[in-house]
Amino acid sequence: MTGVFLAIVPAAIWLVFFYLQDRAEPEPKGFVLGVFALGALLAAGVGIPLVNNVFRTSHWIYTDTLTTILGGILVVGFTQEFLKYAAVRYSIYNSGEFDEPTDGVIYATAAGLGYATVLNIQFVVSNGGVDLGAGVIRIAVVALAQAAFSGITGYFLGRAKFESEQIWWMPLGITLAAIFNGIFNWLQGIVTQPRITLSGTTTNTWMGLVLASAVALATTGLILWLVRRNLKSMQAGK
Amino acid sequence: MTNKQTSLGDRYAEIAVIIVTIAALLAGWFYKSGVENASVPFSAEGISAEAPKGWLQLQPASNELLRATDLGSSGFGTTYILRNMPVAEAATAPEVANLLVLEHAQALTAFRVLDQREVTVYGRNAYELTYVFVESNPDLTHTEIPSVVRGADYIFENGEHAVIVTFQADEKNFDLDLSRFHLFLESISF
Repeated sequence: MTGVFLAIVPAAIWLVFFYLQDRAEPEPKGFVLGVFALGALLAAGVGIPLVNNVFRTSHWIYTDTLTTILGGILVVGFTQEFLKYAAVRYSIYNSGEFDEPTDGVIYATAAGLGYATVLNIQFVVSNGGVDLGAGVIRIAVVALAQAAFSGITGYFLGRAKFESEQIWWMPLGITLAAIFNGIFNWLQGIVTQPRITLSGTTTNTWMGLVLASAVALATTGLILWLVRRNLKSMQAGK
Repeated sequence: MTNKQTSLGDRYAEIAVIIVTIAALLAGWFYKSGVENASVPFSAEGISAEAPKGWLQLQPASNELLRATDLGSSGFGTTYILRNMPVAEAATAPEVANLLVLEHAQALTAFRVLDQREVTVYGRNAYELTYVFVESNPDLTHTEIPSVVRGADYIFENGEHAVIVTFQADEKNFDLDLSRFHLFLESISF
């Protein structure tokens, strides 16, 4: 139960953090929480069963580095990013509350955090709990990463709605998010894949976490820069 | 909350996203199939086969020629065993199956025969023995629940030998892993 609580707390913190970025015109909390719940439901009902039971990624994705990256992008990345896109596109996107490009990032990160919460609960339950070192940091990093990657999709969604972009614009957004997601999963895989050495088995837990955190933080930085640039241009427009 | 009508541009973008996602998932599926079905040639005592690539090949015991295990499997690791057992020339496949039942009953926990029958495997007459047993880590400090394992032995008569091809998988994975095993079965020649 403590593990499940630990799986939810980082997502809640990141949700508040991303929500506060939209200071100009804050979104209704109920809508943000609704999209968060939709992201979680799509993860539990479609994403995780598709990746784990249909594609059975654990059986083949760690065969070699190329397979880990390609499988991470084509299967895990596209599944997750499409579902997070769908959580926004088929709910709030046509609503009057989605009234500025930044809203795409806010709602998409909410969907991403909902998705991350279910992934983290699954991680805790399947491992029978988490340790207070690497396990908790992994949960926080996964939540941030899922929020940041869906933030990319959200940025493209926001621009697509208000700036009449080309037909390739939105697929490009999903593809970029899936690529980041795949690279993150590969780095995270370094955490979970034990290496057999003469002295026994070892895991590069901290190295994997540091690398995965770097990708998550870099993506978050990029998303925040885009959000703030957008807010400045809106204020200049007024 | 007021709803805005979806524009034509939004509709095209939505269709493009769906097409790109389906294309990526299909590419992922084909890539997965390529990785899962990859094989390495194996040959011993006049029997050749295409063993799964990337599986752990354990040291074969007694009359075993090959023992390959998928370490990526959840629970009991899916295992293929290829044996070339010496038998009396007059011995029939059902008699060999009875011998296997005795062997399994001595070696495996909670062993039960599910079915045994004559079958045709890729144009070759064979005898199929399906069974179930429980696999548990003997280390008392391990806390995981024992796995229920389903197994199938295919017995082929080959003169003074019986070629026995075994497939064992966790009960949850048995049906899912069966198609890969059929590829292995098809590749066996003697």
